[in-house]
Amino acid sequence: MSIVLRYGSAAAWAAALCFFTWEAALAADPQLCAACHGPEGNSVIAANPSLAGQPEQMISTQLYQFREGNRKDPQMSPMSEKLTNKEMNELAAYFSKQKAAAPTHKTSPENAAEGPKLAQQFNCVQCHGPALRGQQHIPRIAGQQYEYLLAQLRKFKARQRADLDGNMTAATEPLKDKDIEVLADYVAGLSPQ
Amino acid sequence: MSSCKALAVGFLALFCTATLAQAPAAPSPSWKQGMTPEQETSTLHPFAPHMTGRSAKDLPVDKLKVPAGFKVEVWAEGIPEARSLALGDKGTVFVSNRLAKNVYAVVDKGSEREVKTALKGLNSPNGIVFSKGTLFVAERDKISRYDGIEGNLDNPPAPKVVIDNLDPTNQAGHFWKYLALGPDGKLYFNIGAPGNIVMPSYMQASIMRVNPADGKLETVALGVRNSVGITFNPKTKEVWFTNHGRDWLGDDSPNDTLHRVSLGGKSVPNFGYPFCHQGDTIDPDYGKNRSCSEFSKPALKLGTHIAPLGVKFYNGKMFPAEYQNTMFIAMHGSWNRQPKQGYNIMHVTLDANGNPKMTPFLTGFLQDEKADPPMWGRPVDILQMKDGSLLFSDDYNGILYRVSYAKK
Repeated sequence: MSIVLRYGSAAAWAAALCFFTWEAALAADPQLCAACHGPEGNSVIAANPSLAGQPEQMISTQLYQFREGNRKDPQMSPMSEKLTNKEMNELAAYFSKQKAAAPTHKTSPENAAEGPKLAQQFNCVQCHGPALRGQQHIPRIAGQQYEYLLAQLRKFKARQRADLDGNMTAATEPLKDKDIEVLADYVAGLSPQ
Repeated sequence: MSSCKALAVGFLALFCTATLAQAPAAPSPSWKQGMTPEQETSTLHPFAPHMTGRSAKDLPVDKLKVPAGFKVEVWAEGIPEARSLALGDKGTVFVSNRLAKNVYAVVDKGSEREVKTALKGLNSPNGIVFSKGTLFVAERDKISRYDGIEGNLDNPPAPKVVIDNLDPTNQAGHFWKYLALGPDGKLYFNIGAPGNIVMPSYMQASIMRVNPADGKLETVALGVRNSVGITFNPKTKEVWFTNHGRDWLGDDSPNDTLHRVSLGGKSVPNFGYPFCHQGDTIDPDYGKNRSCSEFSKPALKLGTHIAPLGVKFYNGKMFPAEYQNTMFIAMHGSWNRQPKQGYNIMHVTLDANGNPKMTPFLTGFLQDEKADPPMWGRPVDILQMKDGSLLFSDDYNGILYRVSYAKK
């Protein structure tokens, strides 16, 4: 419980900081995103996704989903509210060009062996690509933050996460909670490039 | 009741309760439905549009090719997922979409065009038609009218419902509607099949029409998997529409099709879905024990998985005389085949017997038929402007282009 509390308060501080800096600025400055998403978009907060080296269309699509209210998040919903399409494209272009850092997450040996089988069995590789590095509007998940992956998979399965084409809602349906843990642990430790 | 019977009833009740308590399984996305077990590892996938749009200056617009004497140029950009087009009496171009919630209005200010958000908060408002001061909008479940909207773009009138309950099952696939106004003053629209290859309900996989004066609904055609383009021959008053054939039947089967239905006909034609495709190909699952001879035939096969969308007859004054009363078809291009094809605007002429023949008119969106994505833009709908030029939409980038002709 104490871990959750400590982590929760850290996230709240980060969010407050993000929001404050954002409100203070007029233009969409990628440096403002760094407060939560890390330097150059390489997140150092377990619950926040890395944006560095992500497919450009994926970033602009998700910003759009937040602004339009299709995807909801206490931090990102207000953040995206004032962004124009052009600013979303500029942010997407910037972060897609940053170099993704090597993950700090270390996959357990059992999950390193089990993960690739599940990624095949549950069709992750079909859309996210053979190395799970994403394409077009589909995110790179290789080397993504573990906590973030875990939370998104659980939200998709619970049908609480916006899904442009219904793919992830259907893909997570057969996953057991143990599968989600194995997949997140495996994917988070993969090299992003 | 014997103890045995009571036990059985009790068990049955328990079983039913347990079944009901379980959340229903999330269906596979409708575009994946109908895959064979061997196809389940396929990497073919539909392409998502750039919802925030892309700027024409970053795109190879100079690659677009039209016949000699014609010119193509960017007319407006920054219109998210630009789909169907409708022209207001005062020259406003209304633009719809199917994944977003707004209808946009493009106001021509001579050298530049202003994009306004005319309507907000709609449910997949893909179908739009303008007539005598009224914009009709087809959402997934209903058609509404907005009277006098063009003079009130910043403060649009409240909608009045023409017809409701068009999507009683909240269908997973092909829920977007195309809308066209017939010479009879009725609104024509599609209700698509709810999946790739499934048994449609009593009013799905159809072309319907509704009289906006009294809301009366009529069936125009059945066995139409999904049409996203409807037009009328100004001479013969026939309705013509495009149709998308089923997926996962191979790269070269079946063809997408163009259909013709006489408005004065006494019977409702059935074009065969889900039993028969392209007038001559029996479905491997639904077609057993059926024959294509039971069904009406398409007017033209358009190519496999090329995704024909908007179709329009041309009767403007700008293009050469041979274009009078011929059709243009916007092809969105394929995802469910390798290599890819389509992404062009095609020209369809009718011979003396009324038989159609098709040739490419505008090409250049396809960059590499083996790449993913293979194209940089995708044509959707076509609109004839008052000066006889054509506008067409590109939902992949949120851009409108103008095709004009200058005598040499």
